[in-house]
Amino acid sequence: MQDKNTTIGKPVNRIDGILKVTGKADYSTDHPVQNPAYAVIFKSTIASGKIKRIDSIAAEKSAGVLAVITHNNAPKLNPKGGIRGGALLQNADVLFYGQHIGVVVAETFEQARHAADLIKVEYEQSDARIDFEKIYKDGVKPKDKEDEKRGDAKAALENAEVKIEETYATPIYHHHPLEPHATIAEWQGDKLTLYNSSQIVNGAQNAAALTLNLKPENVHIVSPYIGGGFGSKGGQWGNLILAAIAAKMVNRPVKLALTRQQMFNSVGFRQRNYQKVSLAATKDGKLTALAHETSTHAAIQDEFVEPCGDCSKIMYDTPNSLISYRVTPMNLILPTYTRGPGKSTGSFALESAMDELAYKLKMDPIAFRLKNEPEKDPSNGKPWSSRKVVECLNVGAKAFGWEKRKMEPRQLIQDNYLIGYGVACGTYPAHQRDSSAIVKLKREGNNVTATIELAAADLGTGTYTILAQTAADALDLPINKITVKIGDSDLPPAAGSVGSVGATSYANVVNDVCNKVTDELIARSGKQYFVRPTASQLMISEKIADIQARADSKPLETAEQYSSHSFNANFAEVWVNQSTGMVRVERFLAVTGAGKILNPKTARSQIIGGNVWGIGMALTEESIVDPRYGHFVTRSLAEYHVPSNLDIGELDAIFIKEEDTLSNKLGIKGIGEVGIVGVAAAVANAVFNATGKRIRELPILPDKLL
Amino acid sequence: MKPFKYINAKDAPAAVKLVSENPNARFLAGGTNLLDLMKENVEQPDEVIDITRIALTQIKATSAGVSIGGLGKNTDAANHPMIRQNYPLLTQAILAGASGQIRNMATNGGNLLQRTRCPYFYDVNMPCNKREPGSGCGALEGINRMHAIFGWSETCVAVFPSDMAIALAALDAVVKIQSPGGQEKSIPFADFHRLPGDTPEKDTNLGHGELITAIEIPKNNFAEHSYYLKVRDRASYAFALVSVAAALEMNGNVIKQARLAMGGVAHKPWRALKAEQMLVGKEPTEANFKLAADAEMAEAKPLEHNKFKVELGNRSIVLALQMAFNSDKS
Repeated sequence: MQDKNTTIGKPVNRIDGILKVTGKADYSTDHPVQNPAYAVIFKSTIASGKIKRIDSIAAEKSAGVLAVITHNNAPKLNPKGGIRGGALLQNADVLFYGQHIGVVVAETFEQARHAADLIKVEYEQSDARIDFEKIYKDGVKPKDKEDEKRGDAKAALENAEVKIEETYATPIYHHHPLEPHATIAEWQGDKLTLYNSSQIVNGAQNAAALTLNLKPENVHIVSPYIGGGFGSKGGQWGNLILAAIAAKMVNRPVKLALTRQQMFNSVGFRQRNYQKVSLAATKDGKLTALAHETSTHAAIQDEFVEPCGDCSKIMYDTPNSLISYRVTPMNLILPTYTRGPGKSTGSFALESAMDELAYKLKMDPIAFRLKNEPEKDPSNGKPWSSRKVVECLNVGAKAFGWEKRKMEPRQLIQDNYLIGYGVACGTYPAHQRDSSAIVKLKREGNNVTATIELAAADLGTGTYTILAQTAADALDLPINKITVKIGDSDLPPAAGSVGSVGATSYANVVNDVCNKVTDELIARSGKQYFVRPTASQLMISEKIADIQARADSKPLETAEQYSSHSFNANFAEVWVNQSTGMVRVERFLAVTGAGKILNPKTARSQIIGGNVWGIGMALTEESIVDPRYGHFVTRSLAEYHVPSNLDIGELDAIFIKEEDTLSNKLGIKGIGEVGIVGVAAAVANAVFNATGKRIRELPILPDKLL
Repeated sequence: MKPFKYINAKDAPAAVKLVSENPNARFLAGGTNLLDLMKENVEQPDEVIDITRIALTQIKATSAGVSIGGLGKNTDAANHPMIRQNYPLLTQAILAGASGQIRNMATNGGNLLQRTRCPYFYDVNMPCNKREPGSGCGALEGINRMHAIFGWSETCVAVFPSDMAIALAALDAVVKIQSPGGQEKSIPFADFHRLPGDTPEKDTNLGHGELITAIEIPKNNFAEHSYYLKVRDRASYAFALVSVAAALEMNGNVIKQARLAMGGVAHKPWRALKAEQMLVGKEPTEANFKLAADAEMAEAKPLEHNKFKVELGNRSIVLALQMAFNSDKS
């Protein structure tokens, strides 16, 4: 199969691209259903307390209204069914500002929205925990995170020749996929179809079934296209279930889409973190201790703590290490997985601290990192399946022109701008997860076509395309002979597009099932071959009209013996206006070692997309809670500033050649998450290099540089 | 959003009549702000009078200067050769606002009538004296990084969001109005927008039903030395933290006339008159610019989260004046 016609590794255009740009790809609420009704959620306007009374008389009388659903008339659900963040209308308790407290269903969206505005709610308010700065010190150990100690970091810090101890703060960040969370729910008897954006198709199926007290086989998830998710569509949230119960109550299909404003307190966010990082080193730059202590918050009734210390566990060689977490409950919606969970925020703290210590040591930050490169995974002693940090740093330094950087800040000045260079590394674990797939081959004359089926999810990142490429190569068919069917729970179960496991898990099972069908064709031919024939050759030579096979793939048994992660090095050049403090990222380069790159075009888009969000984390994005009320003050995209085109300079992505077959058969490591990791630190380090100002609290807004 | 009646007005007198007869009627021009406010229930008109088909779109030279149609699009005003050549400050200010798509929809009159983007004004569940007089000011002791440092009152600390209007204030524009009685009147730009005082619900001195037909800008000698500086949290599509419209008329090496207006600092375009006066007769040096900026910013009264605007305003005045002075060289 490794002939000149292979498509893996080639920059193949997205096979779903034309559908998307012509509007023919159906997203959640685009699917045609008969006679839909429209649901609009209404939300609490206090952060803590109880609902005393809901006056829905005017709403019920309003034109077109079919139902008003509140905790008074909602069906009994299983709140432990796996829906994140509660808010399932099961009681009168209010645990955060903007909690779902009811749904209006009407003939049209406009009627439903107007009626929802007519609802009057009386509350009994109680004290809310919403001022993080006042309460973070009350934090306790999370339920699932013990302190992890190697050696004695505290003692090593006390005896350090050189050290830094600093706290790095990151705000609440929101995912804000272009497509808000949206659902069509349609019942046929006891069977429920949910057209819904789901990063984990089978996860959505199970959570909906358990919560609604249904058998999983009676819940059908249809999610062929996803308009971005970034973690917010990994777990499912109350809106999915409210659509289902609304459809049941009005006995019609119901469409329910969250508004952009509702996205702020409906589907999680990245929590606020205070990360104290302490580094000790010898005078010649060998690390002797690394402590990474995170304080954060979770919801009142549920805990979620993003693992900010993960990068610190494996990035650098140090004999003494401490990773700890403290968490305090707050009256805010449950935080959740957000691109590069723990690693993007954690790397900001770690890689800023590394930059600070390098400066204190008067060492080049790349040389400092190279000096502390670990031979094995320091956290567990396992060998790396592959680790290309050194190559990422060296290749990046050369490509970026790192030699132009000055050690001392404020040395490069042009007109009114201070110019600075920054570097930072990042990492994200690589895993294959259990997945199944079916291949169906058909032949008409000499025309062989194949269909691949599995309940995978394409976030918009190119899953359709890489699976078609994988199947095309494994079956020896042109890519236009491959049909990929994913995003449907009726298909064989598969991993989710989460945690950078999608491409690895899906491509491996597709490759396996294609090899399996080839094996079966060989067996069916009853012949022996010197050179293994391909499936398409056999279909024609053996005159087989159709055949199908199924594979159920698991990770390599030996994979656990290795520590497998993607790694990167990020380089930023910033220009800071000396008068106004406005920062522009003029150039950004990410060099990534992430195993085999299936499609350099979609892979590049993944990486630069992560870079843009990382630049947003560093410079512009921030969700602000009013500590008096507990609501998000920044509640639209006019106030939550994702970077605009004009904010982004020249982006470049380089992949280090790597095939990590110790990690999985195809040697893939995953790139979705790692693209954002290390980015914010590279920008912040460049800002220091430009200005001499070390900003430890993101985002780096103009006023912080005055 | 409250259900409303939509009426397409055939001409200006008809539109003015329709709106003036109903206190809950609103003109609909570009809709880039009104429709957002209606979706959020901040504005709840029961009648919306569409004026987009009325031909008040012309940009034309007059004996006094230039007249810009009230219903012309922001994009057209910014790019008109006469504006680009004679009033580059206005071009720069318009192009610093919003996004290309919004400027293609937004009208010149509508730009002046934008409501504040104060998040407490925009959220009907929050107190706001501007939206609901007597309910209190959410921002005074709330999150007020974006808010006013000049001219605010205990009832309202909101800022006026337009960029275009800051340039118009600096250029001493005049707002031409058609009133319900049929008469036409003019309001000098300095008197058009208001400070909040005890009536923050009133942004301008325009009466209900009055329609902006044109904006007139008198001739000036600022084209060679003018600059609009906008400092913001991202490079595009963000409201100003501070903006400065600066214009100089030189007499040899001495400033004959200076104009300075600031955005993002007050409930109206803030004319920095004190600084302007100090610059007249001076040489265009950084030291003189700094003295003028110091004098103007000494009056600032920042809130809890926007103390930085005093220093930023000071630096921005200096930078904008430098850029204005050097703008003929670029």
